Amino acid sequence: MTWLRRYGTLAGFGAIVLFFAVMLPETFLTGRNLLNISQQISMLAVVAFAMTIVMVMGDFDLSVGAMASLSGVVAGVLFAPYGVTVAIVAALAAGVLGGILNGLLVAFVGILPFVATLGTLTIFGGFAFLISDGRTIFGKDIPEPFSNFARGGVDVLGVSVPALSLVALGVLALVWFLLEQTTWGRRLYAIGGNMEAARLAGVRVRLLRTSAFALTGLGAAGAGLMYAARVASANPTQGNGLMLDAIAAVFLGMTMSEDAEPRVHATLVGVLILAVLDNGLTQMAVDSYMREILVGAIILAAVGSAGLGGLMRR
Amino acid sequence: MTFLALSHVSKSYAGVPALTDVALTLRSGEVHALMGENGAGKSTLIRVLAGVTPADRIEAMLDGVAVSLTSPAELAALGFRFVHQELNIVPQLTVAENIMLGRAAPRRFGVAVDWLAVNRIAAQALARFGATWIDPRQKVARLAMGDRMLIRLAAMLVASDTAPRLFVLDEPTAALTHAEAERLFRVIHELRRSGAAILYVSHRIDEVMALADRVTVLRDGASVLTAAMAGVDRAGLIRAMTGRDVTERVPPRRGGIGVELAATVADAATDRLRDISFTLRAGEVLGVAGLEDAGQSEVLRLFLGEGQLRAGQISVAGQNRSAGPFAAWSSGVAIVPRERRREGLAMGRSITANMVLPHLKGLAVLPGIMSGRAERAMARRLAAQVRLKAKGVAQPVRALSGGNQQKVLFARAIAGKPRLLLLDDPTRSVDVGARADIYDMIRTAGGEGCAVILTSTDLPELLGLCDRILILRDGRQVAIVEAKGLDAAGLLAAIYGDAA
Repeated sequence: MTWLRRYGTLAGFGAIVLFFAVMLPETFLTGRNLLNISQQISMLAVVAFAMTIVMVMGDFDLSVGAMASLSGVVAGVLFAPYGVTVAIVAALAAGVLGGILNGLLVAFVGILPFVATLGTLTIFGGFAFLISDGRTIFGKDIPEPFSNFARGGVDVLGVSVPALSLVALGVLALVWFLLEQTTWGRRLYAIGGNMEAARLAGVRVRLLRTSAFALTGLGAAGAGLMYAARVASANPTQGNGLMLDAIAAVFLGMTMSEDAEPRVHATLVGVLILAVLDNGLTQMAVDSYMREILVGAIILAAVGSAGLGGLMRR
Repeated sequence: MTFLALSHVSKSYAGVPALTDVALTLRSGEVHALMGENGAGKSTLIRVLAGVTPADRIEAMLDGVAVSLTSPAELAALGFRFVHQELNIVPQLTVAENIMLGRAAPRRFGVAVDWLAVNRIAAQALARFGATWIDPRQKVARLAMGDRMLIRLAAMLVASDTAPRLFVLDEPTAALTHAEAERLFRVIHELRRSGAAILYVSHRIDEVMALADRVTVLRDGASVLTAAMAGVDRAGLIRAMTGRDVTERVPPRRGGIGVELAATVADAATDRLRDISFTLRAGEVLGVAGLEDAGQSEVLRLFLGEGQLRAGQISVAGQNRSAGPFAAWSSGVAIVPRERRREGLAMGRSITANMVLPHLKGLAVLPGIMSGRAERAMARRLAAQVRLKAKGVAQPVRALSGGNQQKVLFARAIAGKPRLLLLDDPTRSVDVGARADIYDMIRTAGGEGCAVILTSTDLPELLGLCDRILILRDGRQVAIVEAKGLDAAGLLAAIYGDAA
C-alpha cells in the first residue's frame, strides 16, 4: 500500500510507455519520436518547472498561460523596430514585472493566490490583445534567426537534440539548483510547511513570495518566447493552454513525494506523463476530445491513489 | 457503583505494543484521572474506549454486562461523551449552533429551523452547570478558549436523548488560563454530582490531585498504578509515571545575573499594551503574568518588532528593537512561540528542516548555497543536546510526542546562542520528563549570559524560574515583583490586584 502510494505514479508512467510501445511498435519507441516528444513538451516543461516554484510555498499562479501569450506578443511587436535582442529582453522583463505584480498582490496586499492570479490572468490577456491589436504576428515580422533557433538542434554524441529541449533541460537544472541547493529554496519549502511558523523563525515571507512569483513569471515569459519561435508567429492566446497542464504536471509530481511537497524533478515525470499520453494517443488516432477525458481521469486517479487529497488539507 | 470495567486491554501497532494488559475501572459519580508521560498509551486507550480503534484483546463490562466497544454511535447512545484537546468548534457559528451541531435542530412547519427553540435548548444546557454568562446567540469566534470548552461540554449534554453517563476529558486545561481552569473544575464537580463518571486526562499533577477521586497511571503501555487519590502523593505519582525519581523542582540558576543590559523597555505602548517599562540584564529571567490573555504574548512579541509603538522606546543590547522577526533573529533574539502547531513547527517537515530554519545563513557553504550534510550535522548535534527522542533527524516532527516537538523548538531557539530568549508558555502540554529537560535548557542558556522573558500558566513554574515577574492587567503593566520569597498565593494576589 505504501509502495503504491509512493511509486504508483512512476509505475503508471512505465505502464503507459509499455502500452504505447506494444501498440505502436514501429513508431513509438524510436529515437526520432522521443526527441520529437522532448521538443513538443519543452514549453509546457518550462512553465511547469516555473509553476513548481510557487507551488512549493503552497501557492498557485493561474496567470502563467496568459503571461506566455503576452510575452510572445511583446517580442512580436518589438522585433521589427528594435531587433531580436531588445525584443527578447523586453519580453522576459514583462514576465518578471508581471510576476512581481502577482507577488505584491499575494504577499503584500494579501489576496489569495487563486484570486490574485485569476485577476492578473485577465489583465495580461487583455494587454496581449491590446498590444497585438488582436492580430497574429507572423511572416516577416518574426526574424529568421529567432524562429531558426527553435528549428535547430545541437549535436550531442551524433544525435541532433532540439534546441528547445536543451533550453527546457537547462531550466530544469536551474530550478532544481535553486529549490534544492540554496537557502532561498529551503525557505520556500519552509513557507509551504507552515507560513506563520516560518515568519516567526525569521523568514522574510513577503519578500520571498514576491521573488518566487517573479521567477515563475520569468519562466512563463520564457516559455512564451519558445512557443513563438517554434510556430514562428505570435498571437494573443497561443500560450493560454499551458496553465492547466502545468498545474496538472506539478500535482502528478507531488504524488511521488512522501510528504506531498512539490519537487521539480518529480514535476518532470508529470510533464512526461502528459506528453507521452498526448503523443501516443495522437499516433493511435484517438479523438482529441477523448484524449482530454483520459488525461483528466489519469490525473484524478494518480492524485486520488496517492491520498494527496487528504494531505493537501493538512 | 462501577459503571465501566475494562480489563486485559492489549493493542499493538505493527507488532509494537501500545497497550499491554491494561485495566481501568470507572465509577459513576467519580472523577478518575488517567496519567502518564507522552507516548505511555493514554491516547490509544481513549481511542479504544471511544470505539475508534479496535483493541486486539479486551474485556469490557458495562453495568456488569459484557459489551463490545466497536461502534462510536452505539457508545454515544450508551451515554459516552468525549471532549478532545482540539475542540470540534466552528468559530463562525453561534454558541447555540455549536451546541446543537451534533443533532437535528427543532423545526417549525417541518422545514424552518426554530431558532427560538435552538437558543432556548442551548441556554438550558449552559445553565445546567451555571455558565449563564455565555449568550447563546453570540458568535463563538469572539469567545475565549475557556468558554469554548464549556460550549463543547454543553454540546455533550444535548448530543443525544440519552443522558451522558461518562465524560472523557483529554487535557481540557492545556489551553486555559488559571481562572478559566477554575471555572471548568466547578463544572466538572457539577457533572460528578449529577452522577456521571469522568475520565480526566492531564499532565498537571496539582490539578489532578485536587480534582480526581482515583487515578490510573500508564507507563510504556501498562497500567502501573491504580489507587485512590487520597492514598498517593506527588512523588509517588511522578515515580509511577517516569519509573524514576525526577526532581520536579526547577533547578537553581547557574551563575549570577550579569551587569550588561540585554534589553530595555521604557514606557512602551501599543494598541494592546500600555506603560511597559523594565530593564533586563544578561542571564536574568523575567516572567510575564496576568489573567487570561492580558497581553503576555504581546510583550514577548514586542521584541520581534510586532505591535506599532505608540509611545516609548525598546532596545535590545543598546540597539533599537528590530523591525521584524528576520531582523530580530539576526540580532540575537530567539522565540519559542505559544502555539506549537500553528506558530512553531511545520508538522509535515523533518526535524532537520525545522531546527535549522533560522540558521540557514550560517550553514551555507558559499553565500546562499546549502549543504545538506552541514544541516544534518547541526540537527544531530542539537538533538543530542536537548535529549530528543526520535528515530533520526529525517523523521517528520508530526511523528514526535508533544514534549519532543517542544524540544525541537528549543533546539532551534538556543542553536544561535541568543542574547534574548522569548519563551511563550514553554511547558504547555509537556510531560514531566521533558519538562525537567526544558528547565535544564533554560538554566544552561541563562548560565551562558542569555536573558530570558517567559510567560506561563503554571504559577509554581513562574516562581521557580523567574528572578522578577511583570504583572499585566488588561495590557497595562501594574507591577514588577521579585519572585524570591513570593508563593503562588502571593503571586495570584498580585495578578488579581484589588479584586482578590
